[in-house]
Amino acid sequence: MTSLPTKTNKKLGLVIDLDICVGCHACAVNCKEWNTSGHSSPLHDIDPYGDDPTGVWFNRIHTFEVESEINGSKTVHFPKSCLHCSDAPCVTVCPTGASYKREEDGIVLVNPETCIGCKLCSWSCPYGAREYDEEAGIMKKCTLCVDKIYNENIPESDRVPACVSTCPAGARSFGDLGDESSDIFKIVEERNGYDLMPEQECSPTNKYLPPREKNNQFKNNELSSITQDKEFSFDEWKEMIEDASK
Amino acid sequence: MSGTGYGIIICLSYIALISEINFEYYFKLSLMLVSFLLISLGLLSSTLHLGHPERAWRSFSQWRSSWLSREGLAAIITYIPLMFFYLLWYLDISLYKYLLVASSILCLVTIYCTGQMYATLKTIPAWNNILVTPIYLINAISMGALCIYCLTRFYETEVSQLYELTLISLTLCLFLKLIYWFYISTKTTSTANTATGLEGKNNVSFFEGPHTGKNFLTTEMINKIKKERSNFLRLCFVILTCILPTYMIVQEASLIVNILILKLSFLITLIFAIIGMFMERYLFFIQAKHVVSLYYGENKV
Repeated sequence: MTSLPTKTNKKLGLVIDLDICVGCHACAVNCKEWNTSGHSSPLHDIDPYGDDPTGVWFNRIHTFEVESEINGSKTVHFPKSCLHCSDAPCVTVCPTGASYKREEDGIVLVNPETCIGCKLCSWSCPYGAREYDEEAGIMKKCTLCVDKIYNENIPESDRVPACVSTCPAGARSFGDLGDESSDIFKIVEERNGYDLMPEQECSPTNKYLPPREKNNQFKNNELSSITQDKEFSFDEWKEMIEDASK
Repeated sequence: MSGTGYGIIICLSYIALISEINFEYYFKLSLMLVSFLLISLGLLSSTLHLGHPERAWRSFSQWRSSWLSREGLAAIITYIPLMFFYLLWYLDISLYKYLLVASSILCLVTIYCTGQMYATLKTIPAWNNILVTPIYLINAISMGALCIYCLTRFYETEVSQLYELTLISLTLCLFLKLIYWFYISTKTTSTANTATGLEGKNNVSFFEGPHTGKNFLTTEMINKIKKERSNFLRLCFVILTCILPTYMIVQEASLIVNILILKLSFLITLIFAIIGMFMERYLFFIQAKHVVSLYYGENKV
């Protein structure tokens, strides 16, 4: 059935801290690594060693520049994968029922046996979370590593999505966002976690934590007035910066 | 393509309701053949576009939520009264009128479902508007009417009300499309700011993409078409599909030099009109900006 469940018992999802992400792409690489041998395997690549390679990836890291008066110019690395929306349009548009949202944990999945490859779900998703596998002729997507998070053959500490376990900076957290007593829910409250494109009314489960405002920034001209036309050693420079940031 | 076939059926049913459609044998036969072939080839080509055409039957199951499923189901159901209509019309059994009206209602439903499938996609502001479905309907009707009109020229017959029907539907087709083009040029729903949720007034700019190559999203949804080129295609559609046939129909009397030339010129008109319609379809898809392009360098959609 492609109608959405009225309520899910859990809302498993990710919280991504844009203040921490360093843009190393490790999450995307480990995602590909795990999933190409997991539930959706294989994630085909076309022309992988040629001039124009493409392939199926469930997670991608974009980079934006943000300018603001308080913080000046800032580079923000922005990982993006399926947000496992509560009102997932990709599920309701599916003509075959291959695309579904699980009632037990809210994970959105595609049944590879019944997908006809019409691609309508990918058009309905505002976040570009769905990836068509040209070789297999079916749609694939982030499974929240459903074959890892419930896997009893691996140590309990490893039962988190591949992107979370691999992140060297700790920018990604995984948990039940429907549980108000969970750590992940609390951190979203505390840090004003937000939804992407709320105007699309998909109620995404995954949340993003905004970059923190820096309170030790110096005004641009303040710094240049110190450093202008002067030669100085590294220690002197360090002192100047420390003074300026007080 | 299917739309034109459905349009023929809809126009026939309109004509049948206000007068008679006891056409001569070959004209009747070619109307059946042309409408059947257009509908079937159109549906077949959409099915073959699927990643797994052999699983297409599965798409009849989710009509409760999916417009694509409804479209598929409606298209198949349409065949039932349509085949009986062909049979009874061929045998000249008077019941055919009821079957024709039933088929034409189902044709309208099918086109409506197709239109709604696009019109309900919030991710593409150019499609998510009230004009998309009426445009699908009027495109089908005007092309169907034009198709019948050209066939009447070929068989040298007259069909009552067809002249008015063709001209009115072609004019409506043009005006709805012009309003649509104006409307989509003014509409914005999402911006790079809402897509990333990063604060500030228009100050989020794309720095770099996830990779240097292309991917499924960039090739499927993020088509870039230059404004001059799209304007040229719009002009082609207006001239080939709306103005040329209207001119030919209105000025027909002055064109009759030789009956062969007349037949030939209407055949060419029809071919040009279909080419124009293909350009319009191509534009409809290529100009539709998907909100995912906000993650790939676009500032607003």
